[in-house]
Amino acid sequence: MTLPDLALQIVYARLGWAVVAASIVAALWRGPALTRPVLAAILGGALVAMLLPGELSPAWWLGLAFQYPSGLLVGCCALRLHERWHGIRRSRAMPHTLAGVLVVCGTLLYLDTFGLLARGFYHAGFWPTLAPAIAALGAAACALAIVRGHARSPASAMLGAIALFSLLRLPTGNLWDAMLDPLLCGWAVFTLAAGAVRKSGRRASDRLAGNQEAPLAPVLQPAPLEQFSSVKE
Amino acid sequence: MGNLIGHLIGHRTVLACALIVLLVIGAEALRWSHAARAAALPSMGAGSAGAKPAPATLTELSRTHIPAPNNMPSAHASALTPLAGDGMLAFWWAGSRESGPDVKVFASRWRNGAWSAPWEVASRASLGKALGYGVRRIGNPVAWTDRAGKVHLYVVATGLGGWAAARIAHIVSTDGGASFTVRRVLPTSPLFNTSALVRTSPVALSDGGWWLPVYFEIGNKYPMLMAFDADGNPTSLARIGHSTSTLQPAIVPVSATEVRALMRDDSEQMRVQHASSRDGGASWEDLPALDLPNKSTSVAAIRLTSGQFLMLHNHIAAGGSDRNLLRLSISDDLRTWRTVADIAKGPAGDEFSYPTMQQVGDELHITYTWQRQNIAHHRYKITLGETI
Repeated sequence: MTLPDLALQIVYARLGWAVVAASIVAALWRGPALTRPVLAAILGGALVAMLLPGELSPAWWLGLAFQYPSGLLVGCCALRLHERWHGIRRSRAMPHTLAGVLVVCGTLLYLDTFGLLARGFYHAGFWPTLAPAIAALGAAACALAIVRGHARSPASAMLGAIALFSLLRLPTGNLWDAMLDPLLCGWAVFTLAAGAVRKSGRRASDRLAGNQEAPLAPVLQPAPLEQFSSVKE
Repeated sequence: MGNLIGHLIGHRTVLACALIVLLVIGAEALRWSHAARAAALPSMGAGSAGAKPAPATLTELSRTHIPAPNNMPSAHASALTPLAGDGMLAFWWAGSRESGPDVKVFASRWRNGAWSAPWEVASRASLGKALGYGVRRIGNPVAWTDRAGKVHLYVVATGLGGWAAARIAHIVSTDGGASFTVRRVLPTSPLFNTSALVRTSPVALSDGGWWLPVYFEIGNKYPMLMAFDADGNPTSLARIGHSTSTLQPAIVPVSATEVRALMRDDSEQMRVQHASSRDGGASWEDLPALDLPNKSTSVAAIRLTSGQFLMLHNHIAAGGSDRNLLRLSISDDLRTWRTVADIAKGPAGDEFSYPTMQQVGDELHITYTWQRQNIAHHRYKITLGETI
């Protein structure tokens, strides 16, 4: 169990929360077009605000409530900002596969933490052999995905989070805290829920469109004419 | 040209990825090669491990209140830690009321048979300043003096919310408790690192490290142990048993490998709860509750150097309330207990709670919360060879 130095944690918290806050502001932005200067101003403003001393800094209050963002949350938020910088509308920062994995892991982890499973999942994130082995394997898998061009965006975010954990043990020294936090889990749940709503909406509209294009219902279709004659044969 | 640039970028990506993977593997391998190979076992101190406990007798030497800080009418949750020689430090929180914004942790030094004037050790402001983020409430302190004489103090410091949003700040003193510096907040939970608290005393390990008893309390309540090495760095975190209604574990070593936990009960059973480990704390099993009442009140337990076990607990007498009687009981086997003395008692509604005790040489020191206003201190002489 190797834990990070407090000074490193303070620096990480300020930078990490700045990236997360800038990403949220950019997502909620309803002003003029989100051009690069506007985006740079948002990120710069968030950084300056986080660096303010004591209670003047939003990091003071965010830390009070949430302590530190996970490395993966910071990575995904940084990716989102990168996408906006390049004008990419369709985000790949939180694909459904990643969201699904995060929701499953989060559910198991939080059930265990609330004492309902008693498997010690969180404690395993400190284990001196398991956590480093998972980190090394995870880093190799992410690197392979990036090189091969598979899910390059989330793989980059994950590789960054693992590197932060392995090199500096940020944010807390626990592998879980590097890869997951309740805010990221909430984002994953929202992504899956939004995807499900979109999918059901598409199905409904497909059905509607299908109904409009479909031929008349059989009951309304003209019956084939029967050939008959009143003349007795 | 386009193909060439794409090719170069592709090569850079491959190189960057390979470099990061190598750094990750290298850092983890380096750390792994320096990691401790085996978990330390509990230290049995000067006692005779596994031998039949020798009878002991206790004679009261003094009883007093530790001097209270000015204008702090509420006091609670004392902790004791011995210093070199026959000195000792007491820590507790005091303020206008529990969870009040002015609550701070105070300390007093026991030297030459008297307590010093109290001094401030930690507050919302001092912890917040050192951590870089806010602290909402200050709660229970727990203290430990390591082999080098450093005093490690663990202080409950909450995030946004009540006690269920608690975190544990680890602060260290190299000058006998005169001043402290913040080392870190201990990582204990993936829920924004909240809902971990301390209350009961640490236990010495054979390698100079110690176990810090911890507990979780959002909804379900369960006990945990965090192990530290001799330098005060955490080495592991593990849950005690499977119960979801026990907290504040008081840990007592029985032998080099057997350890017991006596715990506050938050269930309808209302008995002192009990768990056991036979592999030096690596795994735990819940045992049947003791035949001693417990209406969700904290207990303290130690193993005397004679081998007998002492427990301070709130007994519930007919017509009494949850915390109006603080009893000292003794046992040879942690199962059958007999009363030594009622340390403090009053009419229903009075409070004598949150006890702590330490054996220092041939003296037993007991502190507890007296009516939520003061910290009381009792001192006993331990004499071996006679039955209590």
